[in-house]
Amino acid sequence: MTQLYLFARVAGTSIAMNADEVEAVVRVTEISPVPGMPPHVAGLSALRSRVLTMIDIGALISGRPSPPTDRPLAVITNISGHSYGLMVEAVRDICSVASGPLPLRGQIDAAWAPHVRAMVDGDDGHSLLVGLSRFVEAGPVAIAA
Amino acid sequence: MQRVDRLFAAIPRMVRDLGRELGKRIDLRMEGGDVEMDREMVEMVLDPLTHIVRNSIDHGIETPAERRTVGKVEAGLLLVTARQSGNQIVIEVRDDGRGVDTDALVRKAINSGALSREAAERLTEEQRLDLIFTPGLTTASAVTAVSGRGVGMDVVRANVERIGGMISLENVRGQGLTITLRVPLTLTIIPGLIITAGGQQFAIPRAAVVEILHANNRTLAIDRIGGASIATIRKLRHSMVDLEDVLQLPKLQQSGPRTIIVIRSSLGVPYVLGVASVENHEELVIRPASPIIMSSGVFAGMTLPDSGRPMLLLDPGGIAKAAKLPAHVEPMIEDVTIEEEGAPVATIPALRFLELTGEERLLQLSLVERVEEVEAHLFGCSAAHPFVRIDGRLLPVVNDQWRFDRSAVTALRLRDGAAEVCYPVSQVLDIVDMPVVPQLHVSRGLVSGVAIVDGVHLEVVDAFALFADRQSACAAEERSTRCFLADRDDPWMQGILHPLLLQAGYSVVMGLDQDSGPALGDVVFCSGDSDVPINALPARVVRLRMTPRPNSDQDSTIYRYDRVALLAAVAAVRAGKAA
Repeated sequence: MTQLYLFARVAGTSIAMNADEVEAVVRVTEISPVPGMPPHVAGLSALRSRVLTMIDIGALISGRPSPPTDRPLAVITNISGHSYGLMVEAVRDICSVASGPLPLRGQIDAAWAPHVRAMVDGDDGHSLLVGLSRFVEAGPVAIAA
Repeated sequence: MQRVDRLFAAIPRMVRDLGRELGKRIDLRMEGGDVEMDREMVEMVLDPLTHIVRNSIDHGIETPAERRTVGKVEAGLLLVTARQSGNQIVIEVRDDGRGVDTDALVRKAINSGALSREAAERLTEEQRLDLIFTPGLTTASAVTAVSGRGVGMDVVRANVERIGGMISLENVRGQGLTITLRVPLTLTIIPGLIITAGGQQFAIPRAAVVEILHANNRTLAIDRIGGASIATIRKLRHSMVDLEDVLQLPKLQQSGPRTIIVIRSSLGVPYVLGVASVENHEELVIRPASPIIMSSGVFAGMTLPDSGRPMLLLDPGGIAKAAKLPAHVEPMIEDVTIEEEGAPVATIPALRFLELTGEERLLQLSLVERVEEVEAHLFGCSAAHPFVRIDGRLLPVVNDQWRFDRSAVTALRLRDGAAEVCYPVSQVLDIVDMPVVPQLHVSRGLVSGVAIVDGVHLEVVDAFALFADRQSACAAEERSTRCFLADRDDPWMQGILHPLLLQAGYSVVMGLDQDSGPALGDVVFCSGDSDVPINALPARVVRLRMTPRPNSDQDSTIYRYDRVALLAAVAAVRAGKAA
């Protein structure tokens, strides 16, 4: 069975996610900030009649909020009944990879470590295979640390 | 929507298990399982209800031996009922156990330091009972497997209030306790206020708002001492916190005064929240926020208002907690001392306003449901009865003002519980305390007297007169007498008599073949030549004729366009029934 992956770029790193977990990729219009949140919670955004909680993955990795962009690109996903928008720098491709996930090699950056499950070898090099729900759940842990 | 049955499903087993464990016999009765409420609401109420039922069995209902000695039947009664009341679901848990020992509560509160001995002496019975909501307080003399571990009614109340509900107690020592939960039918739509702080908009449940004041109001004084803010409103001191400080937002410069909101928090002590401004009042569709946002503790959910920008709903209790406001019961005592020192004249809060005709007058505040700007073109007048169109309904205008020299007018919406009327004014000035009985009685038109407030004499609007003329508006509520129209197909009965009776406040049934036919005290209308078998009916029968003149001296029929006689005939039956 070949698995479809969505390839994107976050904090300059190429990542891959299971296409099953992804609902859509959209450019969101406007983000209303939520006060008192850790830096990686960018705020709320309306998508049609839904409200998305925007997660700035770049901030989760680098600790700094990503530079504000006009209409940022977001990967929409539904995690335990709530809709999230995961902000990414760019989306490259969606394709299937015959080899499937491969075990990690080398020492991975501590910031990435909690989110990465494996690696995927795409047509143009390696990508880190991330679990989307981990970005969302990682929040409170990251604050505690 | 889901049936409340689901909420009740776990109770019988729990009651049985607990009863066996504690050696108590319980006669459980449940009613109203077919009432429906929002699925999410059921989830939210489940825990508080479970806790209350446990409490009732553990603390309330006595052992069979104890019950015998006080002359009760061995099995304790536990009655769990649910019913719908307006847009609320009322869930009641009643037991016939020993009730709450408020003396013990007060002792516990004093021992734990939550209450001083002097303050305790001044508490009313109601306030003593309210101590049950003090965090960490329990009446159980020993920790059992079931309850008495200090996670108690305070948590229950916080949970109920977070979803916009209310909890109330009715305690009869030795005879039982009734706990009533009132929760909104649905979690999804609540009335809310939109407020601005730090350049952002937030919503706050209206149920939590007691009062809104501008910071420059004369009845308000804000003091800052040792980093704490204290707002004194009409001699009552409240903890004050600015929303921007809680949410770590910048305080922006603004031209007008800031607004302060008195909030009824789940901690039991009202506090004052400072915001930049209050924008609007809206029915808000609330949806749950994601766990990471809820984890901050100050938000209760989110909503998508007309603007299309998502907005967060604030959790009033959570804000108080985040700001670490003191949750002592002392401020309630303050209340009592004020009453002692207070003026000898009993006062009630009143709205001071400027009439369109220029006079300053007072109106009992409890009548005012809402103050809003209404566009002048919505006012109209028909047959010397002015009215206004608000939310698709026509409300009577009581002060005969319906033509204005401006495009929008400030309107007071008044309600006496049932009927609603509108009272356009030029300007709302202040909220003051006015004597219950005006110093001078004049009772003329809309004015009932003149009262002295803060050294000025002001006319008091007569609350009675405002609603007295509006009888027809609420007559529709009285439905005790039913009118049956025997000739169902008669166009005159359908088109002319039917609306007349409806307008007069009676319920009308077309035809006689209903399962519940006319009974004693109902009225049946039929035309004079009707062949409907009506003589056997227990109800009063009114026969109608087509001609103004009676056919003979013995003719007991009524001319069908004689409005007075028609209504008198029904009224006579009503009067007979009442007697």
